[in-house]
Amino acid sequence: MIDAERLKILTESAKYDVSCSSSGSRRTNTKGGIGNASPAGICHSFTPDGRCISLLKILLSNRCAYNCLYCPNRAEADVPRASATPDEICELTVAFYKRNYIEGLFLSSAVEGSPDATMERLLDTVIKLRKIYRFNGYIHLKGIPQADRALISRAGLYVDRMSFNVELPSEKSLRLLAPQKSKEGVLAPMKQLALEKAAVKEERTKHRKIFLPAGQTTQLIVGASPEADGQILKLSQAMYRRFSLKRVYFSSYIPVVHHSLLPDKCAGLLREHRLYQADWLMRFYGFSAEEIAGENENLPEEYDPKCAWALRHMQFFPVEINRAPLEALLRVPGIGTLGAYKIIKARKFAVLDFGDLAKMRIVLKRAKHFITCNGKFYGSENIATVKNMLMLEEKGGKYEQLSMFSTPETSLSALTGQL
Amino acid sequence: MNVYITDGSECCFYTAVFSACTDRDCMITSSRTVQLAFDSTVIIVAPDENKCERVKGKLRRYAPRSLGDISLILRRGSAAKEQVALEYIRLIVQKKSPVGDMLAHPAVIAAREEKKKVTLEAHHFTGFLRFMEGEGGIFYAPFSPDNDILELILPHFLSRLPGQSFIIHDTARGKAALYNGKDCVIAQTDEKVSVALSDCELRFQSLWKEYYRSVNIASRPHEKQMKGYMPVRYWKFMPEKQ
Repeated sequence: MIDAERLKILTESAKYDVSCSSSGSRRTNTKGGIGNASPAGICHSFTPDGRCISLLKILLSNRCAYNCLYCPNRAEADVPRASATPDEICELTVAFYKRNYIEGLFLSSAVEGSPDATMERLLDTVIKLRKIYRFNGYIHLKGIPQADRALISRAGLYVDRMSFNVELPSEKSLRLLAPQKSKEGVLAPMKQLALEKAAVKEERTKHRKIFLPAGQTTQLIVGASPEADGQILKLSQAMYRRFSLKRVYFSSYIPVVHHSLLPDKCAGLLREHRLYQADWLMRFYGFSAEEIAGENENLPEEYDPKCAWALRHMQFFPVEINRAPLEALLRVPGIGTLGAYKIIKARKFAVLDFGDLAKMRIVLKRAKHFITCNGKFYGSENIATVKNMLMLEEKGGKYEQLSMFSTPETSLSALTGQL
Repeated sequence: MNVYITDGSECCFYTAVFSACTDRDCMITSSRTVQLAFDSTVIIVAPDENKCERVKGKLRRYAPRSLGDISLILRRGSAAKEQVALEYIRLIVQKKSPVGDMLAHPAVIAAREEKKKVTLEAHHFTGFLRFMEGEGGIFYAPFSPDNDILELILPHFLSRLPGQSFIIHDTARGKAALYNGKDCVIAQTDEKVSVALSDCELRFQSLWKEYYRSVNIASRPHEKQMKGYMPVRYWKFMPEKQ
């Protein structure tokens, strides 16, 4: 059995990977086996930093040959090193799973020796877990870039989800901060897996094999390199379209390592939050990356990206709740996918007014400036006032010293005395 | 006002609905601590298969799916559950058709909210339930949910751990699901049961606690969010929170 000391080292090295979901797979239990996957995913616990524990997130080893500057496990770093055997990982996974602590395994590894050797060890562990321990729960495997193609596609037959981390949003930053990695080395296996998954889907045999049922994801570090939000979103959109990714995770940079090429400050959580909001707009609300932010623009901090878009396109508003099509409802700030669906269903039976919307728990704080209910409008006509009101509620008491470069809204709030 | 007091069973509730549905000024409850109004007449309802079937038959004809919704609402741990279900049934009977999509109607909003609370808690406990290994290799999981969800989460664990004997114990309602690897029964129990743990159980629990400590990013505290997602009242049986 693995000891507490090594578990601590291997977990602490893995925890900065943000991917945590256990959704998307319908793997069923086999005869005499243990476990299955739940398509919606299940959170088993929450840590004091507010993140969920769904999978046992662990490295096979943190002895790394690479020297990526941002990484706490890089070759030059002076940190405790450890590794675990495949059997130890399997035993721990099954024991935790039986006690309902976890939904499955999230296995990653530092590049120990060569990429091929590392990938082989990862694959060994996964195959052992499926075949000998007969585990049918969720497995998320981190791919090792530049490992052999055959190893990678073999892994796809055993795991539910695979992910290769792009980490840095441009080739230039990658060359600067992670010299042993290359853009091609990361993107090529993602493309290969996407093609293989599509090919398996096309097969019309009776017993179709299962290949990566929960697809692929990736992760981008935000704030370690100078790329703007617009560029990050454009890259994410391209990956969604080309590799049919399930998710792009954003990880706001935390300086665990100090280096002259890296910023010394945490990239704020707010930036990460805004990027996720924009990501949702692209995946569920029919927005394109170009609509949300220009190539070299950052997302505004004061209000969410949908508000920002709406304020730039006031010609589309207000929309009439009782007649507007779904696409128009989804673009109203403050109305989400669930709210839009509720409105569409409810208006078949009765004409809706503001009172009804409030009863249906649709938040009108932002929405009221952009909608009419049965011809009535309760928002503010003046766009500057709307901007101010939207900003005020988001801000929650953030003060700043006025300067030549303050935004017009800040100057205005100083004049009116509204904070 | 007539107050129909039921014994809490589904059959008894439908028997009460048989007369209450057309009774304008009435209320159904299974709670024994309800505050009666000054002019109320108490009617103790005895379950009646015949009346129950007639109400169910009518509902099946008008809105087949509503029976499932109502059985979920009746699992709710609040005193108003029967009243919410009654209002919902009245609306179905009035419209003579399914009403689930009338999302702006107060009766439908209330029914959906109650139902959501039950199903959401059931989903939470598929994650928050914690098994411990007893001496004989039988896994024991105590929990005390707000709503009566034992039967709702049971299929999940039966399909997940088919080869394993386990007990899931609802300590709040004093009932437990017993599974021996083949058959599953639900039995009444005492509130507290003492279980002798197996040798390796404490070792795995301490490994789990170590994992829980290590995976947390201490430089980003957000306790409020943790408590929002995992309410403190559920912590009682979680080893990582002891």
